[in-house]
Amino acid sequence: MDEEKKKKAKVINREKLDTQQLFQLKTEVGLSVVGQSIPRTDAREKATGKLAYGADYPQEGYLHGKILRSPFPHALIKKINVEKAQKLPGVVAVLTAKDVPGRNSFGVVIPDQPVICGDKVRFVGDAVALVAGETEEISYRALSMIEVEYEPLQPVFDPKEALKPEAPLIHDQGNLLVHHKLRKGDVQKGLAESDVILERTYKVPFVEHAYLEPDVVMAIPKPDGTIRIQGPMQAPFTVRRNVAAVLGIPINKVQVRSIYMGGGFGGKEDAPLDIGCRAAVLAVKTGRPIRLALEREEVTLQTAKRHPHIMEIKIGAKKDGTIVAFEGTIYNEKGAYASLGPLVNIHSVIMMPGPYEIPNCKVDGYLCYTNHPFGGAMRGFGAPQVCFAHESIIDELALELGMNPLEIRRKNAFKLGSMTATSQVLDQSVGLQETIEACAKAFDWNRRYQEAGYLDRERTRRRGVGIGMGFYRTSFGASFDGCGANVYVQEDGSVLLYSGITEIGQGSFTVLTQICAEELGICVEDIRLVEPDTDLVPEAGPTVGSRSTTLMGNAIILAARQVKDSIMEMASEMISVPVERLAAKNRYIWDCEHPENRIHFRDVVSKCWMKGKRLIGQGWWAPPPPSLDPETSQGNPYFVYAYSTQMAEVVVDVETGEVEVTDFVAAFDVGKAINPCAVEGQIEGGITMGLGYALMEEIILKDGYIQNLSFQDFLIPTIKDVPQITPIILEVENKLGPYGAKGMGEMPNIPTAPAIVNAIAHACGGRVRSLPADPEKVWRAIREAGGPPEK
Amino acid sequence: MNDIHLSFILNGQRVNLVIAPNIMLVDLLRDILGLKGTKVGCREGECGACTVLLNGEPVNSCILPAMKVMDQFVTTIEGITKDHALDPIQQAFIDEGAIQCGFCSPAMILSAKALLEKNPNPTEYQIKESLSGVLCRCTGYKKIIKAVQTASAIRKSLG
Repeated sequence: MDEEKKKKAKVINREKLDTQQLFQLKTEVGLSVVGQSIPRTDAREKATGKLAYGADYPQEGYLHGKILRSPFPHALIKKINVEKAQKLPGVVAVLTAKDVPGRNSFGVVIPDQPVICGDKVRFVGDAVALVAGETEEISYRALSMIEVEYEPLQPVFDPKEALKPEAPLIHDQGNLLVHHKLRKGDVQKGLAESDVILERTYKVPFVEHAYLEPDVVMAIPKPDGTIRIQGPMQAPFTVRRNVAAVLGIPINKVQVRSIYMGGGFGGKEDAPLDIGCRAAVLAVKTGRPIRLALEREEVTLQTAKRHPHIMEIKIGAKKDGTIVAFEGTIYNEKGAYASLGPLVNIHSVIMMPGPYEIPNCKVDGYLCYTNHPFGGAMRGFGAPQVCFAHESIIDELALELGMNPLEIRRKNAFKLGSMTATSQVLDQSVGLQETIEACAKAFDWNRRYQEAGYLDRERTRRRGVGIGMGFYRTSFGASFDGCGANVYVQEDGSVLLYSGITEIGQGSFTVLTQICAEELGICVEDIRLVEPDTDLVPEAGPTVGSRSTTLMGNAIILAARQVKDSIMEMASEMISVPVERLAAKNRYIWDCEHPENRIHFRDVVSKCWMKGKRLIGQGWWAPPPPSLDPETSQGNPYFVYAYSTQMAEVVVDVETGEVEVTDFVAAFDVGKAINPCAVEGQIEGGITMGLGYALMEEIILKDGYIQNLSFQDFLIPTIKDVPQITPIILEVENKLGPYGAKGMGEMPNIPTAPAIVNAIAHACGGRVRSLPADPEKVWRAIREAGGPPEK
Repeated sequence: MNDIHLSFILNGQRVNLVIAPNIMLVDLLRDILGLKGTKVGCREGECGACTVLLNGEPVNSCILPAMKVMDQFVTTIEGITKDHALDPIQQAFIDEGAIQCGFCSPAMILSAKALLEKNPNPTEYQIKESLSGVLCRCTGYKKIIKAVQTASAIRKSLG
């Protein structure tokens, strides 16, 4: 290098940037990978049927675990006799509560669910004994040979009943698991000042995630006392923590591998704890690998559901539509065990007043144990429930005030600088108003709102339109919410990306690889993402809360920048250009002022390797810590929100109550679409799931027994139920997100049901306040409203 | 019950074997013949993840006794990729973003294959009818419909 070039290449100074500054740095040469709708990195394997799901793993040498379940919703276990079952040839172990080596309970938030029940069962499906046999048939036969004597107890099936002093106790500490309160302003004063006050009650039932792949887990004991748990799961670190406690061994002796999932939607956050802990105990007791696979009916019987809510609301507004007071009470049915209930409950409480600026809010959320199956995480985490309520009542309010439902929303909806129900000031990335305008324009709201009416001369089919609006957090808003990532650049320029975020179908592996490629200035094909394995990847928390792209994306950027430092310094030396003038894209690093002066990424990396420069990057990113007052729920629970407005057109048969959704437009502020095709996929899938919530999905319970365990009776939308869907993606930059992105996986599922139910009301005058809006309820609602409209 | 001899044509090859008379086709394919591309979601013919083609028609292999396929033609997802070259339907599913978790994808692709072999220019309604036996919980079906339309166009251009 000649002297002049050397002078030029002098590094002027180097400044350590904090995270905020880091993400404010704009890349001057544009993006080459981020923002592209590249096909999923796993698409080929999936299209050819070669990708192995849990059920496809080899089974040779495995024992088959099975669970004996309680036939009663609430009972004492008086006696268990396992002798006959133990003697059956091919049975290797029959375990009861006394066989659990460590803590006999598990749970994501509170470990209150027994691995094997010892003294008491709390729902139909509780585990009473475990069996391991040489074949599934033998294990099933052994289950039928276990003799259990129960003393049935009085069950409780209603959350309000459960709160009464005379109600039988499901857990010793009482049936009220938690009561969350939100207090903002003075709701009594607000109501007193209102021109109009409406009081309504809305209800939503238990629903099932209905992921197509039934749960399965493998537990493999090792001679050194460690154990490997592998299976489809959204939360490998949560599984690890629980398995370690249940086995009574340190966390570092448990290895958990999350393999590709056939859908999860929140359900594979805690179902894998349940079967994972049970398989682990069987594996340790038998010293053999265990495979524990659930049949479809067992999945429905045993695993978490979306929490049912009874929601009582009083809303007060001025004549001009300004909402001044919101008072809500939620009876959140917990079912038998805590699962994620306490976190769902607080989320329901703070989201209940909706995306509206309301000066006076008061919400109480009571999370009540019952002897039903338990609620857990399901796409939206409390928000779909309360969104149905706030979007229904605001529509009813608009009707009462004689306002267009779009106008009342425009008037009250969040904008930049608005204050939420928790008194959080929304200081960045607030695109709600933009979604309203984009959606209204694409849907042609004002025209179609005026044009409701009969479609046929026989006056049976009426058309109507409805709006739903919502917002949703990114991250789960706890102090321990953070993600780690490792980026290892190999000597040939290929890259290993280590991330603990799991692939449930949402496309995280693809999107995270895109972020890594963009940051390093290479191509997606240059990177191999190492599948989540707690022995290999840094702590990442669970794949929930619409947090993966944002939190892990940031961690990857920070990790990539560590190695990029070495690489850019080396490139600077190699082509004699100061670092500040270098740009990196598509495997080349070049001088921005003289683009022809460039060098291949691989050559720079090779030189770095030869010279012992750092090619290992380790990133950790945690959102700004949340603050929430425990008594008033005032503060900043989440650091950013996504926003959505959705509009539906339905046709209602006023004679039968049948509803067909005929058109759907939905606009989203996602911050930045890292992969627009994947974002559309989330939108279309989420809306379809919301359509099911609106019209058909419900776990039907009778005396504690689920009546619709199979897909024959638990209906989800088929290809014939889905209308035209027009997704609109808006990007209002999240200053704390990778390339401006924020979470959006759950958002599409939230305002769909109220948009459809509001459209039904618009079409025929009948207001359904309890989901699902099945033909019977719609038919009744029409009659309650005075019968089918005349014109 | 005595084992029975079964002979059928699987993905273009004749297969002769001895099976238990009560085994379902899906278990024969997955556990005995090692073709794991056919999935099991419910074992009652509702979700359609186990769909294979029997003489070119989609069937639920989880409720079809294997002995029923004696001397019949069975096609699984493994059978539509020729010499590592993807079928245009598979390529369209990849390109259109019609795959998310992928658990229903083999069944959807085979159902689409059956449709396009009979009807190269299906309407959207016909696509929906033909694929309605398979549930998908991820995609909302829109991109699946688009993929079948794209595949139809590609097949036409390939003649």
